[in-house]
Amino acid sequence: MNDLLTVKDVSYKKNQKLVLQNVNLKLNSGKIVALLGENGAGKTTLMRIIAGVAKNYKGEINIEGATKEAERKAKLSFTDGLTGFSDSTKIKEVVKFYATIFEDFDENEFDELRQFMKLDPEMKLSQLSRGMREKLIIALTFSRKADLYLLDEPFGGIDAMARKKIINSIILWKDEKATILISDHFVNEISSLLDEVVIVKDHTVLEHKSADDIRQTHKSIEEYYESFYADEDDE
Amino acid sequence: MEFKDNIPIYLQIEQYLYRQIALGKLTAGEKIPSVRKLALELTVNVNTVQRALQQMNSQGILYTKRGEGNFVTEDTQLLAETKQSLINNELEQFVQNMERFGIKKVELVSTLENYLKDEGDQHE
Repeated sequence: MNDLLTVKDVSYKKNQKLVLQNVNLKLNSGKIVALLGENGAGKTTLMRIIAGVAKNYKGEINIEGATKEAERKAKLSFTDGLTGFSDSTKIKEVVKFYATIFEDFDENEFDELRQFMKLDPEMKLSQLSRGMREKLIIALTFSRKADLYLLDEPFGGIDAMARKKIINSIILWKDEKATILISDHFVNEISSLLDEVVIVKDHTVLEHKSADDIRQTHKSIEEYYESFYADEDDE
Repeated sequence: MEFKDNIPIYLQIEQYLYRQIALGKLTAGEKIPSVRKLALELTVNVNTVQRALQQMNSQGILYTKRGEGNFVTEDTQLLAETKQSLINNELEQFVQNMERFGIKKVELVSTLENYLKDEGDQHE
């Protein structure tokens, strides 16, 4: 199978502080992959580097031959948290902005996703609950036609129903060849969905394994993940 | 359908479908739900469903019609064997559990007979 994403010897410092060191990672196309690690382990930073948002890193990122940031950005869709919009912005205005900025943004697809998520285009960002906001972010992210989707903690602080909607949207809208990388610090809620698991700890990628290979050893994904932190609980 | 997280999911999907077939919820020659529908119903990845269906295709219990989907085999002997092997699994479990309660194999039949008789009395 062809590599979709290659992260080679990537290191990153922020304010002289080491965030990531010698990260290596390869992802194939067509997979659902969890990026697991504690808060502060560097998951978001790694996603931001892959997405071309965080700059001044050392090492190389390659997405199907694209290494420059602008080229990479065209091949991936990243949840950016809607940080650039004011609270009074309506959903339909956000959509308009996305459609202008991204050539591959499909407004019809967004409309299907929006209806599936039960979001009203007239609503302002300030009116959205945490779960609705996350659903909107996912709908916007999946409305682009990309090879790689990066979802940064889509399940943080949302209720079970919103989570179920988001999980179902992943199953329904994921293109066969597209790969989805989902970061989380808690694996249970998505474990049945996963093809592969990537563990981020100590500023680097420690392990990368197939989910069913882990289960083959009669370990649950959660037990596997927790085993990386077991020694710390003893202290 | 809840999956155990310490057994490969594709194996559990196979078991689930085998059960559906043995229980007659999916019958000989019947089309099974699409890959995406199964994925949604079971909250699993499409790849995982595909892997399970591929295995079942190579075991002969399912067959694929190009562009139409997956169908349950019409081989009634194979279906009967499949059902019997699921029944055997249940029985094996039962025997093991009874052994844990200290009931020996030679006592099994009488234990079961007594139970069925008592249960029958209660229902009269």
